[in-house]
Formats: sequence, structure tokens, C-alpha cells
Amino acid sequence: MEKEKIDAAQESSPGITRRGFLQTVGIGTLEIAVVGAVAPAVQAETRQRGNLVPLTLKVNGQRHELHVEPRWTLLYVLREKLELTGTKPGCDRGECGACTVLIDDRPRYSCLTLALEADGHEITTVEGLMHGEQLGPVQEAFVQEDGFQCGFCTPGQVVAAEGLLRHTANPDIGEIRTGMSGNLCRCGAYGHIFKAVQRAAILRK
Amino acid sequence: MIPWFTYSRPNSLKDAVKQLSVPGTRLHAGGTDLLGCLRDGVVAADKLVSISHLAELRGITRTGNGSVRIGALTTLTEIAEHPYIMEHYAALSEGASSAASPQLRNQGTIGGNISQRPRCWYFRGDFHCLRKGGEACYAVAGENQFHCIVGGQSCFIVHPSDTAPALIALEARVRITGPQGTRTLPLESFFVGPQKDFTRENVLDAGDILTEILLPAPAANHRSSYRKVRARGAWDFALAGVALSVRFSNGIVQLARIVLSGVAPVPWRVREAEKIVTGKEIDDETASQAAAACVKDAVPLAKNEYKLHLVRGVVEEALLAMKQA
Amino acid sequence: MRTDSVNYMGESPPETQGQAGTLTPWEETTVVGKPLPRVDAYERVSGSAVYTQDIVLPGMLYGAILRCPHAHAKVKHVDTGKAAKMPGVHGIITDSTPGANIPWYHGAKGAMSRLFDPHCRHEGEEVAAVAAESPHQAWDAAKAITVEYERLPFVTDIEDAMNSGAPPVHEGGNRDGDSSVYQRGDTAKGFAEADVVLEETYRTSFEIHTPMETHASVAQWDGNRLTVWDSTQGVFAVQSSLAESLGLPLSSVRVACHYMGGGFGSKLDLSKHTVIAALLARMAARPVKVTLTREESFLCVGNRPANIIKLKAGVKKDGTLTALELTNLGSGGAYPASSSVGYLVRDLYLCPNVHVDETNVFINAGTARAMRAPGFPQCAWALEQTMDALAEKIGVDPVEFRVNIIPTVSQVRNNMPFTSTGLKRCLLEGAKAFRWKEARERPRQDGPIRRGVGVAAGMWGWEGETVSTAIVKLFADGSVNLNIGASDIGTGTKTVMAMVVAEELGVPLEKIQIEYADTGTTSYAPGSGGSQTVVANAPAVRKGAVEVRNQLLELAADELKRPVGELVLKDGAIQTTAEPIKKVPISDLQILQRRQMIVGVGYRDRGPEGKVALPFVAQFAEVEVNIRTGETKVVRFLAAHDSGRALNSLTFENQVFGGIAMGIGFATTEQRILDSRQTGKMVNANWHDYKIPTAMDVPVDQTCISIDPHDKECNNTGAKGLGEPATIPAAAAIANAVYHATGVRLKQAPITPMQMLSLLAQQQEGGNR
Repeated sequence: MEKEKIDAAQESSPGITRRGFLQTVGIGTLEIAVVGAVAPAVQAETRQRGNLVPLTLKVNGQRHELHVEPRWTLLYVLREKLELTGTKPGCDRGECGACTVLIDDRPRYSCLTLALEADGHEITTVEGLMHGEQLGPVQEAFVQEDGFQCGFCTPGQVVAAEGLLRHTANPDIGEIRTGMSGNLCRCGAYGHIFKAVQRAAILRK
Repeated sequence: MIPWFTYSRPNSLKDAVKQLSVPGTRLHAGGTDLLGCLRDGVVAADKLVSISHLAELRGITRTGNGSVRIGALTTLTEIAEHPYIMEHYAALSEGASSAASPQLRNQGTIGGNISQRPRCWYFRGDFHCLRKGGEACYAVAGENQFHCIVGGQSCFIVHPSDTAPALIALEARVRITGPQGTRTLPLESFFVGPQKDFTRENVLDAGDILTEILLPAPAANHRSSYRKVRARGAWDFALAGVALSVRFSNGIVQLARIVLSGVAPVPWRVREAEKIVTGKEIDDETASQAAAACVKDAVPLAKNEYKLHLVRGVVEEALLAMKQA
Repeated sequence: MRTDSVNYMGESPPETQGQAGTLTPWEETTVVGKPLPRVDAYERVSGSAVYTQDIVLPGMLYGAILRCPHAHAKVKHVDTGKAAKMPGVHGIITDSTPGANIPWYHGAKGAMSRLFDPHCRHEGEEVAAVAAESPHQAWDAAKAITVEYERLPFVTDIEDAMNSGAPPVHEGGNRDGDSSVYQRGDTAKGFAEADVVLEETYRTSFEIHTPMETHASVAQWDGNRLTVWDSTQGVFAVQSSLAESLGLPLSSVRVACHYMGGGFGSKLDLSKHTVIAALLARMAARPVKVTLTREESFLCVGNRPANIIKLKAGVKKDGTLTALELTNLGSGGAYPASSSVGYLVRDLYLCPNVHVDETNVFINAGTARAMRAPGFPQCAWALEQTMDALAEKIGVDPVEFRVNIIPTVSQVRNNMPFTSTGLKRCLLEGAKAFRWKEARERPRQDGPIRRGVGVAAGMWGWEGETVSTAIVKLFADGSVNLNIGASDIGTGTKTVMAMVVAEELGVPLEKIQIEYADTGTTSYAPGSGGSQTVVANAPAVRKGAVEVRNQLLELAADELKRPVGELVLKDGAIQTTAEPIKKVPISDLQILQRRQMIVGVGYRDRGPEGKVALPFVAQFAEVEVNIRTGETKVVRFLAAHDSGRALNSLTFENQVFGGIAMGIGFATTEQRILDSRQTGKMVNANWHDYKIPTAMDVPVDQTCISIDPHDKECNNTGAKGLGEPATIPAAAAIANAVYHATGVRLKQAPITPMQMLSLLAQQQEGGNR
């Protein structure tokens, strides 16, 4: 964790908003204190570090203590700070689904979720669907049905499928298409993705 | 990349209102629209005030008199999948489920869907347009195929919400808490068109928070629907759409509300069309007359004349489908 | 026809000699052709696959590029002072930075621009770049650079650009050289002989590739040696262009790309951001990663040109084509890039008289790059709708009409014979499986929902570079390392190559390790594009494997004291075919234990000599059109492909469905929209406004049929290309189905509800049919 803090510390605020930055250092600290989730020792660090605020993230069942800029998205923190690069950046603007993660069992775009907003929630990434080195059932179904081509949208597809099946264990084809309609695949592997989700429903049982 | 800001998470609505009254702050609920706007430089924020964790603003409850209260932070998914909403307020359920994508519906709130910013590509893009403080509306002489055909003046956005037309058809009211206290008004009066003020889309002032939506108790022999036409099969805003809410008596329309999406800067209620169908059975002729009335006052721009045909087509289809339902 | 750089400039490498050099395609196979999951599926579904964007090196910085926001402007002044002082910033480069003056965009008279050319000819041209400790810092700093622009008049409309008063994109006007003309026979005579002559103008839209992984490069210097991880379809093309740009020998530039998140042609060439990453890395003395944003990916890494295609066609009542005349006006953007579409008109159908006249114009918009079958879907859009209309005029079924005019020779290649022509079978077997007749003869409904079916045919016209070298290494335990230079861009290249090795050596797929797409460690292969990957690489891989087997058998013959002719390699063991029967596991061979490895090298043949091997396709679509709302839904699709042997029927089908999806985008939703009358800027540079198909836009009912003509001559595997043909006729088949459903002819792509409603309204007024 120490390395993380140092990395993060190098990312101070831009000069362009320097005035705003100086003004808000105190405010940021104070407000986080209002939330009541921060121990006094951490507050002191926060003050010193300026614009970084402490955050506890629960990812794939593991707790991570970090310091983040408020503008960092969950996607950025997962990839760049927690080194969970299975979650992919396709557009960084909520228009493709490659960054899909589960937040409390529901698929969401991690690029449109501030890391701070994930506080207190259970986050599951594609890495979290593995059983050690073994693929989980949804992943196995995607392998068997060849439910991908280049694979860059695949972690997002797999997580979206997992989210769909946690909610609807036996989806019909209409529910599968709708459930997967928030994940673009430019290679156009949709036909095989449909089959993969159907197979996944069986393998999950 | 999103520009830098500070972030706070007040633990009460009152505190949130107080913090939001400071210039430069922005409200964060689901965040799906806000973060996109920040990233594209459509709006700026020194500070975000997040209310996403305020449990009292979330959830669907039935009150003693049968009306329904929907907290503004209730997600579109929660609304779309709610059995009571599906049964008695189909238009809302259909509107919520036709918006955006599953992931966005899991995150986006009903309050945010109603008060989201326009999707006009000049407004969202790197163009200093009128609504952003510039000199002119680029849509007038530009790429205006997705713009409004009615209600535009100096600015030609369409209102992007799929749930708002449905809620207006269902006679919803909204509750707003602000620095001056709490007020309740019909959702229909919530929206502000460009002829009145082209810098805003609704009545929310600094510090105001839309807290809940109130639906009247379901009436007997009532049916509602929302039908949306889009360029892509999913995950797309309406080219045009129509929310219908109709009360029947022995097959005769007693009361009708017809509200269009995708055609005007605000959800567009067409009272003339409502009058045409009221007191009659819905048949090919009444449907066609009502549909024609929906575009009577429309003045298309250079590239959106198709919307005249589209609105007529979709209204006719929706009315006839309601008859068959 | 193909705009990506041809990497291999010299003679073909030596061909494999001896037995491996004269291989003919397998008669029977045990592995090849099976529907097997991919060898790298685990990595792709687990999230462990490392794509270029996932690479993090010790000390790595992040780059950001400042781009011109105007359609046409001159940079008068760049002030980097403020940005340079911002936190985390380690380097800023602009046009005035020493070493940044690198020529770019080459035309007939040499370079037409440079890396940071102050004359910006389209929105998104590069002005400056920053390297900083974090991506946020890099972007904050890039935004803090102030630039003074002189805005210039612009032109972004193709037809406007041809006007005499149009603002010139380059000195000397907007025509990119003279029109290119192709002529055979006498079209005037041909039209005079025709019973029916049709003439129509078809228009297509600019499309953007938008692979899921945006372009990205990571550059690292060790002294004067440069290593670049690049999201590319061809590491060797990037290596050679990069070496040339930086004045380095090839041996000092190593380019690698393992997992790659899609390209569709946009990642065949070296891009500016890659050179920028290298320059920033040298300046900062730290590795630098530059990742394009999604918005940037719409502006400056290629597009499919829009075309205005005038097509005149003559036919006799008996179904003989008498003449085809095509005039094409297209634009490859602000710099030289092909917008040619004429191939199909010249080669798909028998026609003695053909005239093609093509003009490319410059406009103030991003430069085109090859996009999946460059030029072909555009031409199919015009030609295949015309064929449909001709068939109707002479009262013949559109399938039958096409079946009777299929050539067996390539008319553009002086009638050189095709090694195989499966188009007739594609049409007939496809029609049968689709239940074409039944669907076609269904009475037209009068209700608001109209159903219709349509057919379109196609072929791909480029044989590929057909050079490559593959190295197959047999380890002492009988497992294998396969070394190929080809990229696997998602088509399953690694998988089918491993299957070829497995076929020859009897090694299970899980015992084949694959090393690929790294100029430092693998052998040469051309870029994975243009449907050439299998055609160029699989034959070399097979030869390499056969070389290994031959060496192994020879060594075993010595050791076992049996003639080579009596030995076979089976199930990981050397077996004798004559008594006394003996079976020795490979790993028991003493010679192999001493050497630890046997290496076989396979070189790809040129050729086939005197013939040309090309893939063919026929596709069938069924649509539903809501005439009230103009919505068009593709409800059923069948693709019948002659791509020779399908090496893996599972990945084959997947790729075909992908081509159909791309065709659905072309036909129904995709178009770049520029604010042509006001700013020239792109208004839909994002995935919300530029609409690619979703899961709701492709039909559930999709069928892929592989028509294998058992081609003995195309190469030693019998496989022809697939990637391009999969998307060539798809959009045209949809347009023909819409016509069948509604009687409305779609001249302009895409068929949006906007267009559909306008045409239906015209039809109502008696304007259309």
C-alpha cells in the first residue's frame, strides 16, 4: 500500500485550478470528516497530501485502503491503482460496456462511477469470477461457445452476463438480448455471446 | 478526462441543500449524466455534492390513499421491474426500461432521468452554443436531424427523457426541496422551454433537489403505454415516442393524456389530440385524426421533416395498440 | 483497393523445397476443420490477457496529445510555458522540438505534411504532446497549452470540394491526381445491345472502424534501441515505418503486440501517436504510454470513405449482362488515401464491356484507412441493388439471374482462371437453406409491418502478400513451440495455426506454445488484414511442421535402423508400418534427448502460378419494415461462403456473424456526420451518436454455411480468405430485402428511419416506384 500512496501523491491538482485547489483542501477534509468514515490519523494525512481523500474499496471480497482524487473513476482505480486490468477501458464515457463490473450484484459501468461512490459497496470484476486459476461457469461458457473475437469487450460481456444470471437464472433469448444490450462488441460476436449466456445458465446450476 | 473537483457527501437532505446553494457546486445522484457532462466540458464544477447514499430518497412506496411515492434516487431498473408499477403504471415501466442500457438503468435515477441535460450534439460537443453561453444555436443551420419540430425558439433541443412523458401522462407531481423549503408541483410545470429561458430545462434553482415523484392512485379501466422509436435497436434516445394514458368506459375513452418525446424541448403534451379521442372509441379514424393533431403546429427544420411522419405513425400505432390491449 | 502499406518490398523469401514444398491440401483431417475453442480463450475470458493498454512498465509516463479543434487552420503560436510547470509534467513536444520534424502523409510529389505540421487540414490534427506521471496530469497539461490559430476556409463535403471555388485543402486544388479509368470492351455498343438499361446514383456514408481497444502504444528506449508495444494488426509494418521515421536500422526497433482489441484495418499502419510516444520517451528518458481517447479514435486513425457511385447497367432479356459503367466520386480525406470502389463491377459477373471512372478528392476531414474490405461494401451497395433491379425488369429471380453470369476467370486479370469458384454453390445452396423461394413468393402484406427477403453476392479481390515464414520447434518431450509473425486480431489465427501443427504432428493443442507478432523474436508475416492471414501463414506453418516431422523420421530411421519410408509419426510416437511393428515415443529417441529440439522452417510459396485464388460469398437477409415508423429490423440472415476449407468451423462461423453485424451497421445506422455548413467539425465523435450495432440489432436467427469447393490449387491448406467477404454483400442484401418488403429502393446508406420515412412518403405520393 505504501507504493500506492506515493504514486497517488505525485498526482497533485493542476495549476489551472490552483486557486480552487488551495481553497478546497480544507473543505475536502472537513466534509469527509462529516461522513464519519475516516479515522483522525487518516485525516491528518489527507490534509498534508492536499487533494487526495481516503477511501476503502471492497473488490472481489478484499478490502483496499487507498487515497484517491475525487475525480478518479472506479475504472481508473481498479486498473491503475489495484492493477486489476481485466476491466477494460473502451470509451471512458459510458457508451460501450467494456468496463462493466458488478456493484452489489448489478452490472454497472465503472467508467461512469466515481471511485468514491463505490465506497461501502461490493465490487466484483472479471478477476473475481475466477476460482483460483479455474474459470468460473460463465467464463467457461464463453470459451465453449466461442463468445468473443478480439476479447477486449469480453470481460465486460462476461460480467454483464454474470449480473444478468444472478438476477434472472433462466433467461429466455429476449431477456438475454436485452440483458446484453449494454455491451458493444465491434467484432460482432453477438450470435455466439447469446449462445454463451444460454450455456452459462446451465453451467451455473 | 474529468477536470478536477472536490467531493462531499452530506448526511442529510438539509445539509445537501445548504451545500448546493454555493455557486460552483453540482448535485451527484446516479452520476451517469453528470460525469459525461463534466468530461465533455458541458458543465463545470468546483465541487460535487453527492446524495446517492441518502436512503430516504430511494424506493417505491404506496401511501394510504393508494397513491405511489417514488424517491428521486430510485433507479430506472427498480422502477422498470417493480410489479406494482408494471401493473398500474405501464407507461412508466416501459419508459424506464426503454431508456439507456441495463448498466445505466442500474445506476441512473428517476430524478436524474427527468432532469438530465439535453443530448443535442452541439450542446454536448465542442461548440460554444447558445445554451452554453454562446451566440447562436448551431442546429438552426446545421445538422438538425435529431432536433425539435415544435416548441423550439432560439434553441432547438429535444428533451431526452423517456420517463418524463410517461409520468406527465400519468399525472405525476414532483416534490422539490430547496433553500426556501419544500414545494410540490405537477411534473408538467417542471419543465422550462427555450422561449422562456434557453439556459435551463426545468425550474430547479441553485440548491433545489428533486426529492420525490408522486403518482395518483390507479384508476379503474385505466391503461397506459410508452412507445419509443430510435435509430438503433437499443441504448439510444428517442427519435420520437409517445406516452399514452387512457381511461375507458365500455370501450369509450373517458379521459386521455398524450405526451410526446423526442419532438420538443420539453415533454410535449398534445391536448388537441386528447380531445379528439375523448368520448369516442379508438378506431382507425380517431387514431389517424389524433395523430395528425400531434404535428399540426410542428415546423420542421431542414433535416427533420421525417419526424412529422414518424410522430403520426407512432401515435397511430400506439393508440390502436391500446385499443387492442 | 488496399491502402495499407505493403511491408515486404523485396523478392519473396526462398520457398520450402522438397516434400514439404509440394504439399497438396489434406484429403482428410483429424483436427483441422473441427469446431474447437480457441487456444487463448482462457486468457481472453479470465481478464489475464495483456493488451497494449494494460501494459505498465517501471517508471512509465502517460502521454496526451493536443489536437487542432478546427477543420482547417494554421497554428500561429504555441505557448507551452504554463503546461511545462504543471505537476508531474516531464516533457512537451511541438513542431519546433528538435527531432519532431518528421515527414508524414506521402503523395506523388513526396511528403505533404509532418508530425506536428502547423497547417492543420482537419479537426484532430496533432499540435503538441505532453508526457506526465499520470494520465490526468498529462491531460490537464495538454489542456493548459495555449494555441493561437488562424482559421481557414474549409470544405468537408465531397461534391462541394469539386467546385471551382472550393477552399483548397492543398495547393493545386482538391482533386487527388487524375481520375483513374478502367476500360474493357465498348460500353456504348454494350448498352445499344441491351434490352434493359438502368442507371442510378448510390451514396454511402463515411464509417469509422472504432475497434473496442483504441489505438495505443508504449515506447521504451534502451540507449539507441527502441521497443514499442503497439496495438497493431501488423508488427512488421509498424517496425519498418517507425525505423524509417526515426532513422534507425530495423534491428534497433522492436515492435510487439500480443493481445489486440480489434482493428478492422485502422491498425495496419504506423500512426502518429506511436512516433509521439517514442519521441516523448526519448525526451523524458522514461517509458511512455499513449492511449487515444474514444473521441480521438473517430478523428484521426482512419475511416471508410463515403462514395457517390453512378452505376449504369445493361442486360438482355435472356439475362446476359451487356455493359457496366461506374463513375465514383469519393474522398479519402485530407491526405492521399484510396476511395476506389470499382473492383466488383469489373470482376464479379461476366460482362464484356466495362468502364470505370474513379475520382478521389481531398476534403478537410480525417484520412481514410483500409476498412474491412475497402471499397467492396460500397460497390456491392450499388452493384447488388442494380442486379436486383435488373432481375426484376427482365422478370427473373435474383438468385437465378446471378447464377447464370458467374465467371470462372478473373476478367480484370486478363481472364486468369480462378483456382475455384464456389459462388454458384453459395447462391444455390444458400437459397435452399434459407428457403428463399418460399419467402420470396410470400404475398406482400398490406399491414404496417412488411416483411421481405433479399440476396446479394460478392467476392474479395486481393490475393494477399502470400509471403511468410513459420518456425516450428519440437521440444524433447514431444511438445511444440510455434513461432509466427502474424497478429491474432480476434479471428483465431493462433488457434487455426496450432490446429495445422496438430494435424501434421499429432500433438494436442494444449501442448503447443505459440510465440507471435514480435519483430524481435518471430519470423516475418504480413499484417493481419485483407483476408490474407490464413492464406499467407497457414501454408508456411504446415510446411514448418512437415519439416519437423521429416527430420524426426530421418533421425528415427537412423536410430531404429529402419527405412524412413516405413516410419510414421502418430500420437506422439514413431511407428513402423512394416513388421516387426515398433512404437517409440518421441521423447524416447536418444537423438532428440541429445539435441533437445528439432526446428522446422516453413516458407510460404508464391502463387498459385498462373491462377488466382479468391473467396466468394452469397448472403440472404430477411427484414421487417414498420412503414408507420420507418424502423427496419433484420430478423434473419444466412451467409454462404466459399472461403475454401474452413480451418475451424467455430471461429469461421463467428467471423462470418461478425461480418454480418458490421454490414448491419453499414446498412442501418453508421455514418460520420460533419457540421459541413458551419464548422466542418464532427458532431458525432462518440459511440452514442455514432451508432454501431448492439445485441438488439443483430438477428438471433443467423446461419453460416461453408461451401468448400475442395480447392487443390489455392495453397497447401485449401483455405481462402474470410474476413472481408463476410461483410461485403451484407448491407446490399438488407437493402434488397427492404425493397422486397416495401417497394422502396434505398439509394443512400444507411437506411435510417429518417430516410425510410421520407422515401415511403414519396412512394405514397407516387414518386418512388
